Amino acid sequence: MTALSHYEQAFEKLPAPLRESRRVHLHAFLEQGFPTTREEDWRYTDLAPLAALAYEPAAAPDARPAAALEDCEALALANGRLIRGDARKHGANEAREAAPGIPTLNAAFASGGLNLDIAAGERPQPLHLLNWLGGQTQGMTHQRHRIRLGRGAQATVVLHDHGDAAAFFSTQMLDIELDGGAQLDLIRIQDLGAAASAITRTDAALGRDARFRCLSLDLGGALVRHDVNAALTQPGASAELAGVLAPSGRSHLDLHTRLDHRAPHGTSRETFRAILADRAHGVFNGKVVVHPGAQKTDSEQHVASLLLSPQAEIDAKPELEIYNDDVKCAHGATCGQLDESALYYLRSRGLTLETARNLLLFTFAHEVLGRIPLASARRLAERLLLARLPGGKALEELL
Amino acid sequence: MLEITNLHAQLAPASLNEQSSRGPAPGGEGKKILQGITLAVKPGEVHAVMGPNGSGKSTLAHLLAGREGYTVTEGQVRYDGKDLLALSPEERACDGVFLGFQYPVEIPGVSNLYLLRTALNAKRKRQGLPEIDAMDFLAWVKERVKQMKMDIAMLHRGVNEGFSGGEKKRNEILQMLVLEPRLMILDETDSGLDIDALKIVSEGINLMRSPQRAILLVTHYQRLLDYVKPDFVHVLARGRIVKSGGPELALELEQKGYGWLEAA
Repeated sequence: MTALSHYEQAFEKLPAPLRESRRVHLHAFLEQGFPTTREEDWRYTDLAPLAALAYEPAAAPDARPAAALEDCEALALANGRLIRGDARKHGANEAREAAPGIPTLNAAFASGGLNLDIAAGERPQPLHLLNWLGGQTQGMTHQRHRIRLGRGAQATVVLHDHGDAAAFFSTQMLDIELDGGAQLDLIRIQDLGAAASAITRTDAALGRDARFRCLSLDLGGALVRHDVNAALTQPGASAELAGVLAPSGRSHLDLHTRLDHRAPHGTSRETFRAILADRAHGVFNGKVVVHPGAQKTDSEQHVASLLLSPQAEIDAKPELEIYNDDVKCAHGATCGQLDESALYYLRSRGLTLETARNLLLFTFAHEVLGRIPLASARRLAERLLLARLPGGKALEELL
Repeated sequence: MLEITNLHAQLAPASLNEQSSRGPAPGGEGKKILQGITLAVKPGEVHAVMGPNGSGKSTLAHLLAGREGYTVTEGQVRYDGKDLLALSPEERACDGVFLGFQYPVEIPGVSNLYLLRTALNAKRKRQGLPEIDAMDFLAWVKERVKQMKMDIAMLHRGVNEGFSGGEKKRNEILQMLVLEPRLMILDETDSGLDIDALKIVSEGINLMRSPQRAILLVTHYQRLLDYVKPDFVHVLARGRIVKSGGPELALELEQKGYGWLEAA
């Protein structure tokens, strides 16, 4: 607990007005501290090494965010500060209340994030949020993003986390509200440096017939934890969560999803693909709760993992709570190695072992990445994935 | 071109990477499959290797193509005078060895066209040639797709994805026509084909016959040999060639079965 006093001191360096409004969050955080592996939700993810270090709020970095996608409006942030783009879409986004644990830490320290408000019926140009994090060893940045879509609005947001090699700690909370018939495509690309620690939480509330689609690619980070929660609060809402997890080295990547079906005729689909190399450890926990009254719920969850080395590990667990008879809920998880017969077949046609492996890995991931609706973002995701495979660059003509 | 001398092989100890369904059966390590095969194939020749199930025909075909999972305990294989067994499967392919699979693998997400182009360019690279021009390549492939009476649209589908058994076999021959190998090993290419498909496949094989090339037809039945006339027929039983002869041997087998040879 003594390490927490460090956060107390860091907090005192915040501007006075912020301290006043946020002290309640700081106290809540200090009271509970970081979650431990004794909590069921954190069983596989040990934050003790993170909690033991004294992270300082990051100074203004000398950042070089990636290039913006050509067909998108760009908003570039470096450690939460606006570098370029529309300042009206950037804000501190104060939290009124925060769930226990990491969200309270985030609420106490949050600097700038995305603040996107799309009025009813609007269909703005896709937004590419170039979210750069790093520049300072033992630096930290906490961000709170907010996306609100009015009735029938449609938006595409590419949330693109990237950074440098610094051992940096970031948290991001993302609040999403979709009014009736609104449709959001959220494309998340996590390409942080190999030493980064990142904890994110997404809470999406879906109105009547709203559609939330979240497609993600996770590549980097030493310790990464995502919580993606979607509540289908009104009839006819649909949520699709899909992604590729591709950690390597000694990376630890934990994805917890939670879908709350609270109203009838909701649909949810989850498709995740994990490619684990070296000593990487992946965790997937997919919780689906069908509440009383959510009749005709239709939910499917599929997770497939490839272990590329004997030291790689995945823990994949579905968690279904169904308080209703009239529902369709399916789930499945598979885990294996690359198909040896397919490798041999490709090699027998003259492809090198490396090319054959990359080709099979790429196609495995492409089944999910291929669903990214924005072509430029899809190409970016696939290019980044190929760049991570040894010799993968040779396959770029596939794109 | 190909000289197999006193070849003995057995299943390698099962490793983590050898658990695929089409590979050697797990738990069979140490089982002797080939027990002294000697066979010489010269350019221009067509050899048929026949034999009952379990005689080692497919093992021989895969050993020549480079499948892992077998240990050669004795003997050698020379291809153009070089030690074939020392080469990786991809090196063998680029040097002109082609195996037509009995069970071609489906690879969704990789188009037939991409595989063909990558394979052809890999071979050209090993030969020290530049990559083939895209338009030349397309013309080259399309002509061969027509020869195999396939739909051009198949080029953009995943490799063998959703293909019927017959389509897969035709696709094997298409790959062969595109890659122009010098030593063609066709593993039960006739199995599962109806008579029309068998004719198309046979015509494809015959297109590749030339004084510079050789073909090894591995088959259980005589039927394919009506369309692709072999120069030599060998009967494999219990891992050995128990009888060799001309095309008439295949007809004899058709009438008498394999029993009289297995007992010998």
